[in-house]
Amino acid sequence: MDIYVALLILFGGALVAFFIDDLNRRWTGPVALAFALAAAVAFALTPEGQHFRLSILGFDLHWQQDAAARFFGWIVLGLTVLALIYSVKYMEGKARLGYFYAAFLMSAGGMLGVSVSRDLISFFVFWEIMTWTSFLLAIYNAYYGVETKGIKYIIFSSIGAYAMLTAIVMAGHYYHTYDIADLWQAGAFSFRNHWYIPAFLMLGFAVKAAVVPFHVWAPDVYAKTPMSFTTVFSGAMSKMGVLGLLMVLTGLYAGGGDGMFWFRWILGWLGGITAVVGTLQAIRQNDAKYLLAYSSVAQLGYIVTALATGTRLGLMAALYLAVLHAAFKGALFMVAGAVEKQAGTTDFREISGLIKRMPWTFFVALVSVISLAGVPPLGGFVGKWLLYESLITETHSYFLVIVIFFSSTAAFLYAYRFLFGLFLGQAEEEIKQVKEASWWMLLPMLVLAAVSIVTGMYPGLIFKPAADVLAGWGLPVPDWHMSILLNNWGNGVDLVTVGSTVGIVFVLVAIYITLKGRKTTKWVSTKDISTSGEIPSPQDNLTFQRGFFKPFERAIGRLYDWDANGIWEDLGAALEAFFGFVRKIYTGNAQTYALYVIVFLVILLIFGAKIFS
Amino acid sequence: MNSFQEVFIRYRELMEIAVYGVAILLILIGLYAVLTKKHLVKVVIGLSIMDAGVNLLFVGVGYITNHTAPIFSPGYEDAADKMVDPVPQALVLTAIVIGFAVTALALSLVIRLYRHHKTANIEQLNSLRW
Amino acid sequence: MVISPVHYIVAPLAAAFLIPLLNKLYDDAARVVPGIVLGYLVVVSAVLVPQVLHNGPITEIIAGWRPPFGINLVMTPFSAILALLVSFMAFVIWLYGFRFRRTLKGGVVMYYEILQMMMTAGALGIILTGDLFNMFVFVEIAGITAISLAAFYRDRDGAEAGFKYMLLGSLASVFLLLGILLLYTQTHSLNMAQIAERMPAVAQGVKIMALIFLLVSLGIEAEMFPLNSWAPDAYSQAPSPTSAAFAAVLGVAAVYALARVSYTLFDAQSVSMFLMVMGFLTMFFAETAAIAQTDLKRMLAYSSMGQMGLVMVALGIGNETALFGALFLIINHAVIKALLFMTGSYFIYNNNSKRLVALNGIHKRLPYVSFLFSLGALAIIGFPPFSGFWSKFYILSGAAKRELLPLIIGILAITIVEMTYYLRVIGRIYFGKEETEPASHKPSINALVAMTSLAVIIVVLGLYPDLISGYLHKASMFLLDKQAYIQNVLSVK
Repeated sequence: MDIYVALLILFGGALVAFFIDDLNRRWTGPVALAFALAAAVAFALTPEGQHFRLSILGFDLHWQQDAAARFFGWIVLGLTVLALIYSVKYMEGKARLGYFYAAFLMSAGGMLGVSVSRDLISFFVFWEIMTWTSFLLAIYNAYYGVETKGIKYIIFSSIGAYAMLTAIVMAGHYYHTYDIADLWQAGAFSFRNHWYIPAFLMLGFAVKAAVVPFHVWAPDVYAKTPMSFTTVFSGAMSKMGVLGLLMVLTGLYAGGGDGMFWFRWILGWLGGITAVVGTLQAIRQNDAKYLLAYSSVAQLGYIVTALATGTRLGLMAALYLAVLHAAFKGALFMVAGAVEKQAGTTDFREISGLIKRMPWTFFVALVSVISLAGVPPLGGFVGKWLLYESLITETHSYFLVIVIFFSSTAAFLYAYRFLFGLFLGQAEEEIKQVKEASWWMLLPMLVLAAVSIVTGMYPGLIFKPAADVLAGWGLPVPDWHMSILLNNWGNGVDLVTVGSTVGIVFVLVAIYITLKGRKTTKWVSTKDISTSGEIPSPQDNLTFQRGFFKPFERAIGRLYDWDANGIWEDLGAALEAFFGFVRKIYTGNAQTYALYVIVFLVILLIFGAKIFS
Repeated sequence: MNSFQEVFIRYRELMEIAVYGVAILLILIGLYAVLTKKHLVKVVIGLSIMDAGVNLLFVGVGYITNHTAPIFSPGYEDAADKMVDPVPQALVLTAIVIGFAVTALALSLVIRLYRHHKTANIEQLNSLRW
Repeated sequence: MVISPVHYIVAPLAAAFLIPLLNKLYDDAARVVPGIVLGYLVVVSAVLVPQVLHNGPITEIIAGWRPPFGINLVMTPFSAILALLVSFMAFVIWLYGFRFRRTLKGGVVMYYEILQMMMTAGALGIILTGDLFNMFVFVEIAGITAISLAAFYRDRDGAEAGFKYMLLGSLASVFLLLGILLLYTQTHSLNMAQIAERMPAVAQGVKIMALIFLLVSLGIEAEMFPLNSWAPDAYSQAPSPTSAAFAAVLGVAAVYALARVSYTLFDAQSVSMFLMVMGFLTMFFAETAAIAQTDLKRMLAYSSMGQMGLVMVALGIGNETALFGALFLIINHAVIKALLFMTGSYFIYNNNSKRLVALNGIHKRLPYVSFLFSLGALAIIGFPPFSGFWSKFYILSGAAKRELLPLIIGILAITIVEMTYYLRVIGRIYFGKEETEPASHKPSINALVAMTSLAVIIVVLGLYPDLISGYLHKASMFLLDKQAYIQNVLSVK
């Protein structure tokens, strides 16, 4: 099967889904799902190493099914299929389904295209397709705020994309090729020759990966997009930025390693700061969706930091975390969507104690949160382990380790908040009617949770394709084992033993609590409570969820005053005001217009000899 | 050569330059009217004056001293090298026609503006701006 | 009857003058005849364009006077493609407006069609003529008709827009005449090929002065900053099909004239910097003014000015790649902006308001039109896989070949501004809260055909640009080759 078949299926499916919605609204979702499945099958049947070349306007487009394409392609397609299964029920009864599914499939097609593109032109084309289709989805729920939140996303993405485009045309001029492999060979991505080519490319990818200070688009968009697409948005689309950064890194290595300083230190620190900023913001959110959105920003910070090391273990950590983040964050966004669908809101102040109503959802949330926090025995732990090890033993960036460590410790706070806020505590009356989500929604969530559990014991399942990616692009490859974690001092940990031990203890404790715990419960209202000696204002919804981490926020204090979002918004407002001022030159007075013409003419006549020499 | 002839030649030389001077002066006068007069009709008149100036300039450029009109009439069959340049004159005819059309159109617009605004002040025409 | 370039000018002019007579015989003649004529012109183009591209330029001798004497029409690959574009777009615009103008009362339709035909004839004349003074005449024909069309609705704002356009248009014609006069005094010729041939002998000072006069006057027509202040008023007050024609017919001709003057009459090298700077300023001021508009048609008008600015930048860059991009962009701009005006006109028609606020949630009433508008908006921003992307990419590549990094960054920064206001409109159309529910005017079938065909062109050219790239390459090469133009015209027997 040829490489373009999967792409054609996705784009064709978008068209079909768009128009089938007019015929029968109930078919839209399943049809889109069928196309995504067909694309996945086609992608699976595409033989490894296949090339596809196409000439448009004299540009040689080059797509290749190599290890990297498979790796990122499967992140995209896997999440797309799962999210579409989830969407069938999640999107039921919503308006504009044709619009939604068409944009969804096109976006998936764009991401798959980015994964397989091995020349910068098709890379950019697919990148833009992915961007504007995801913009259409980002504004799907925003009946208000089209003018700010969705626009903010597309503006930031375009700043990134156009930085990339600048680099692409300049690279095309200097090296007379757009083929990525040739550009690597020619040293195009080296800082020595034309520093702005790799720098602008990195800027473009960093924006997509929501690196500080370009992260401000991400939380709003992740939280406002329908959850079934946020899964893909945060899980897969941000990974395209990772893919791009990996590409630049390969070029840096091929070009002799100049500019590793910029890559390793600047990008690494930006990633670390991103992790801290995302974590701190996530802690103070009162809405599960926003909490997860900021958490996504933080997790991407880890991935970028890992990638920025450019070392064996660091790269492995980045790719590993990329998959794991897709799995657990995808699952968590689906959990948030399920809660939203079933309980009507994801605001912690209005919801609690869903554990008895939605036990399966809770299970998925629990597993994913543990994986997110990087606690053994689940998959996330392995990624964190690799990250720390690469930072400590390979690049010796101890300060960065401290930053990452701070952020991942603080991450426990919001991880706990998420579990506690939605599922634990005591259920109010209005919660009691809530039912468990449909199995259409639970199935993909359970699959993603299973990924976290299995990789916790057999991380080699991801190490193997990741190592293939690194080997395929000539990057350093670490040793890896199916289920044993080695450190640089030669000690090893057998994860299967750890995993099964913890699992057995967990089950025993769970049984014990189920049998014993119920009797001590005392029921009180969760509303009308004020915490921490705060004086509430009249409009506050008085629940213990308000000011949940107030002491922590006080401890952090002024860090919260730095509001990147506000700076960007002020900048935008200032620009618009400036534009509004500039357009006043069109005064509406005919004689003024004539005067412009004459003055222009006179200026030209005076300086003509210089201007037209 | 007597002094009268000398004066006459001087005069004709002066006139050749004066034609250009007058034409340019007309253009500038028209421009002045267009840029400063507030009455719509005066602006249109200014445009017409500019047109006239340009046309005069054309004629002046084509004129060659002591040559005749570019018409092959009886007695002038082989006088092609004694004629002034005919091309600018042909162009001027076209330009005059076009200028006439523009003026007519402009005046009709002025009338309509006056009906809508009840004034012919050009500064009142600013509902379309920015 | 042999098909020749003369038909481009004679047919629409004849039609325009015959329409009043024919209308006496048959009631709907005014509405049918233009379609027949423009359809015929499309056929003429279909015959002539391949001929020109394969056998080289056609120089049409009028009334037996060989160049450099007499007026001649020159159909180079560059002008052939633009002539095809103009006649095709005029045809589509006619098709679009066929039933729309039923709403106009009395004999007004007839005047509209006459003016529209004359404007098309003027634009085609500008594109095809090989004679400088003849170009002036056609500029005036197109200009006068365009002014009348801008003031076509006999309301207050229409007259105001018409008057402003008239004022600047008259200045343009004065300067154009002065420029022609200066060139004539030095070269004693009006034939562009001959002027170009004799140009090296002309004194530098006079040459530059003539160039300045021509650039300023054509700059007014081609919407160059700061000469473009007529444009937003005229675009927004004209009937919507005319607004589309301003972009797709008049704009194309104006840019052609600018390109021909800078590339053939003068040295492209010396104008390069000027065109780049002014084009960039045009883009900047137009797009930044567009972002704050509250009126849909004004917004589209400012956006048109921005696109023209980009074309000028591309002409200024001046290498083959950029010219290819410029030509592609002219085509894209004509097609896409016409589509936007056409769909936008249905929004306005349904809302009885040009205000952007009235677009909130309109997709529920006009789903297909909204879809087409969004398609056009995405295409004109330059998102792949639509045709707008390739033109922008080529222009940027051309800039890269001259290593103009700041220019590339500037163009892209302004594109972000452009993107902002277009996407806001898309957001409004699909997600704005609906305020009112007036009666719905569904698009008529002919308008649907017209709009859909434009949308199909956008998508097809975006996915398969090689369909026309060969022609465009040839045309842009020929525009660069000044000597070929001179020889082709002057060697005609």
